[in-house]
Amino acid sequence: MMVENSSISPADDQPILEVRELAKHFEIGSGLSFKRKTGVVKAVDGVSFSLRPGETLGLVGESGCGKSTVARTLLRLEETTSGSALFHGEDIFKATPQELKSIRRRLQVIFQDPYASLNPRMTVEEIISEPWVIHPDALPASERPDKVRALLENVGLRREHAERYPHEFSGGQRQRIGIARAIALDPEVLICDEPVSALDVSVQAQVINLLMEIQERLGIAYVFIAHDLSVVRHMSHRVAVMYLGRIVEIGTEEQVYNHPRHPYTKALLSAEAPLDFSKDRKKHQRIILEGEVPSPSNPPSGCRFRSRCWKAQEVCAGEAPPLEYVNNHAVACYFPEDSPAG
Amino acid sequence: MSSAPILEVENLQIEFRTGRDTVHAVNGVSFQVESGETAAILGESGSGKSVTASAIMRLLQSPPAFVAGGSIRFKGQDILSLPISQWRDYCGREIAMVFQDALTSLNPVFSVGWQIAELFKAHGIAKGRDADNRAIELLERVGIPDPASRAKDYTHQFSGGMRQRVMIAMAIALGPDLLIADEPTTALDVTVQAQIMELLESLRQDSNMAMILITHDLSVVADVADNVAVMYAGRVVERGPVADVLGRPAHAYTLALLDSVPQARGKGSKLRPIVGSPPDLARIPKGCAFNPRCRFASDLCRNETPPIVEVTPGRTAECHHAEQVFNDG
Repeated sequence: MMVENSSISPADDQPILEVRELAKHFEIGSGLSFKRKTGVVKAVDGVSFSLRPGETLGLVGESGCGKSTVARTLLRLEETTSGSALFHGEDIFKATPQELKSIRRRLQVIFQDPYASLNPRMTVEEIISEPWVIHPDALPASERPDKVRALLENVGLRREHAERYPHEFSGGQRQRIGIARAIALDPEVLICDEPVSALDVSVQAQVINLLMEIQERLGIAYVFIAHDLSVVRHMSHRVAVMYLGRIVEIGTEEQVYNHPRHPYTKALLSAEAPLDFSKDRKKHQRIILEGEVPSPSNPPSGCRFRSRCWKAQEVCAGEAPPLEYVNNHAVACYFPEDSPAG
Repeated sequence: MSSAPILEVENLQIEFRTGRDTVHAVNGVSFQVESGETAAILGESGSGKSVTASAIMRLLQSPPAFVAGGSIRFKGQDILSLPISQWRDYCGREIAMVFQDALTSLNPVFSVGWQIAELFKAHGIAKGRDADNRAIELLERVGIPDPASRAKDYTHQFSGGMRQRVMIAMAIALGPDLLIADEPTTALDVTVQAQIMELLESLRQDSNMAMILITHDLSVVADVADNVAVMYAGRVVERGPVADVLGRPAHAYTLALLDSVPQARGKGSKLRPIVGSPPDLARIPKGCAFNPRCRFASDLCRNETPPIVEVTPGRTAECHHAEQVFNDG
């Protein structure tokens, strides 16, 4: 489907990526025998969201909530159990290898670990050129050396860095190389899986700024996965909060952070102390959650948060609460916090 | 506030001598900890904060680590000159430490209860059933549900947060007067982080123990610490009460660090990152170590080591442009 001309066509509001009821279940063996399956870990269990061109959707949650599994299934690094992900209307999960190759050209990724995600035996030039080796029609070979150097400058490195090897760079610089590789094919969507978690605060800010500049310049949409609430807030237009394989709340950055409606979102936000250094700063009031995240192989029935929720009642153990939208702000809870006016 | 500090670190210098290079991990660190207070050491990777902590616990392996100068006094006693056999009596009873990674710090082949009871046995405080019961009491005190049966479990049967509680139980077992917590919550999720900080804080208040909290996390410092020492390239660059130092920095590095944290600035505004990366500790820049990354840097900073300036009473900064940073920041 093509919409010609007009810069503000209604098509701009059409999602570029639409994920529906995504589920990924891992079967676990007994340990001694690979054949006997003793249980199922529902790492992701019915996740739906959409991504519009040029926007950043933050995906936030604690370890084990399934946020990285969502990223891996969208890239088809893991096969899904069920659900669909429509990229320009084409289902990523049903794509043939040929179709997948064309999808991946427009859907790229940045990984968390800048040490493990670059091949130590390749020069920076070879690393950044690799996407063009896979997609030779993207850029004629004669233009590649120049483009590599232009990309290096775009991500704040120097042209002469092209001849070096990854071990000669710091963590922040390696992440820049990873970003240069990811944008080499001019993708429309970039999946960023904890791209700054391994970096120190001062270097982290450099990479955050770089990602935001690139988005402004190239209009790439990001799925930005992180556990750091303030980093996600800073980067994202919209935010989805995950708990035990499900999205519990989704809305604009302002809605989720200033008017959280799900009890888990409230607790999560309150866990992080504000940066208040004033003399008369009060002792920060936290909602301390009881216990720990239950095992995803044996989650509570109904609402998965109910075992730690101070609002839980009988109804929460029954049917799982659906994600219900009010003003584009959705929450999956039977007893949500009051809806903000407007 | 008591008259004499419980811990005084004076011009501490620690080098790692490797085949080719000498890495100057700690280059003249001085600070004090009053009894009952929470003092934070704030810094990024490679700033020397963990090496300083390990030196206080005498955990550095020599070679490659050497104490090249300075002293550490605990209750007036120079602990670096104590024979290791005497030092063992201090460990646990007087000073104890909680490490970042509980999984590698606990022994996987002994039950958790056994490991805690071992402490009482080794120090000749209790033995047999009595030691076991004390271990169970401790597990209860750090909030482990069903402590009597959990004491029989091994570390792999505990979650990250629970393991950290076990480590805290071991650290406080002998009632130390000083607890060193080295990034105690870094490996944990935010909601569990909140639980552990709450626990440490309540234990500290109950027993009036002093705590050195080593962290890279500004919000943890804001939340619990009384005083803070900011470290960069092996030196304490700024030191004083948390509200003063982080509320209105007088060192260009502290100011730059605050500018690069997302939460500190309003949404949408651009972060102001620190350019470049921390120096190679085998080749620390001349003058002020921060000068290549500093927006205030002048020729003076490139050539001369900055003096320690008293910004306001009880608060120091090691910066040629302390006054300018203090007034402009």
